[in-house]
Amino acid sequence: MDWDDEDALLATSSKGDALDFLNLDAPAPTETETPLSELIRHWMNERHAPTILAAQEQLLGLLLDHIRRQTDAVQALRGHPSTSEEEHIRIMLVQTEVERVKFIVRSYIRTRLYKIEKYARFITTDAEIQTRLTTAEKAYASSQAQHTDRHLHYSVLQSLPPAQAHLDDQPIFVPPMVTQPNKSRAVFAYALKECPPVRLPDGTTLTLEKDQLTLVPFYVVEHLVERGTAELV
Amino acid sequence: MNDTRQFGDLATQLVTESRRSTQTDNLLKYNDSLVRSIIREQRDLEKAAQTLAIEADPDNLPPALLIYQTAISRNKRCLLAYHTHRLDHLKDMYWAVGGALPHILSNSDIRGKLSPHEVDYLRQYNSTVMEFRGEFSYELDIMAGITNPPKDLLVLVHVVRDCGVIQTEQGSIDFQKDQRFMVRRADIEHLIVQGYLEEVS
Repeated sequence: MDWDDEDALLATSSKGDALDFLNLDAPAPTETETPLSELIRHWMNERHAPTILAAQEQLLGLLLDHIRRQTDAVQALRGHPSTSEEEHIRIMLVQTEVERVKFIVRSYIRTRLYKIEKYARFITTDAEIQTRLTTAEKAYASSQAQHTDRHLHYSVLQSLPPAQAHLDDQPIFVPPMVTQPNKSRAVFAYALKECPPVRLPDGTTLTLEKDQLTLVPFYVVEHLVERGTAELV
Repeated sequence: MNDTRQFGDLATQLVTESRRSTQTDNLLKYNDSLVRSIIREQRDLEKAAQTLAIEADPDNLPPALLIYQTAISRNKRCLLAYHTHRLDHLKDMYWAVGGALPHILSNSDIRGKLSPHEVDYLRQYNSTVMEFRGEFSYELDIMAGITNPPKDLLVLVHVVRDCGVIQTEQGSIDFQKDQRFMVRRADIEHLIVQGYLEEVS
């Protein structure tokens, strides 16, 4: 029986070849970052950012594969007659850890879903934000936008006079009706390493030192978060 | 009693309902008659604006037209806000029971508060979510709870309502009222969410 695979998840530090190419365009902020801690960073960023961040398909796929392998291995070992008492305890630990990883994966996916629903209509019209979604997420966004449109059409718009029966008009004096991400929302950014200077709304520049924590509008640090030099906390 | 009414009074009532719903975290009955009255007001306003626009000199439009236009866009916004607010509330309810749509629709109290279009919407919503869930079906269930991170693998539950035979990792278990079981949390979490089981702490 191959125990290495089981223990690997407890540490989730199996720095295989698969990880090295992941880090090509986004250098790991710390040398010791594991796939799980990387996902935790993306999860926290996603939860704090007002807009949808780039999808981490490779990382997520890697972790999902890992979950699947571990679950299969656990199943096989549990039913095996030669598994000792001590090993059963280790199996339980692995199972608990798998549940914990699943929790983070789930929360990460759901956070994105929540934002996708919120901005569904905006996403269908904006090519830039679409580049940050996976294929399944794009499909989800467009069917969401469609269903909401249809509901509003049947409940309200079809009964209004034709001149008023559009969703995307730009009424005077009031903001547009399609909800857009508010990128100027304030966020706490934590510099994982020294960052290039950023321009603040009042025109001055700010250089974030390593480990510096600052409160700024999201768009100021957006590119730093994307590159992994800063994280949202 | 003052009987004079302004444009937009009805829409204000509608938005107040949404606000009440948020404050009490409670879904109110779909106010069909009020929505209809506002739509009627919209038609009257449109007609009034049309007449005014036709009669007026195109280079020198009367200010009254602006008042009509503003009233129209405000009413429309309130109508859409009311409906969207309700959809958001319904989606929250949907996720709160782990996506068990029949659980919501079979509840006659909730069902009575929905408009037929809202029931349709929930069905479509459900199918979209289920499709997305299918992407991950082999690894994990994205519908499970995300409020409390798992601390233990097993959980002691008390059966509140009969829920029949459920397949779990330890084989199938017949959950009958007032029994207690030690089971894997992931297997029965949806039953806790839907109120069939209760966690014994």
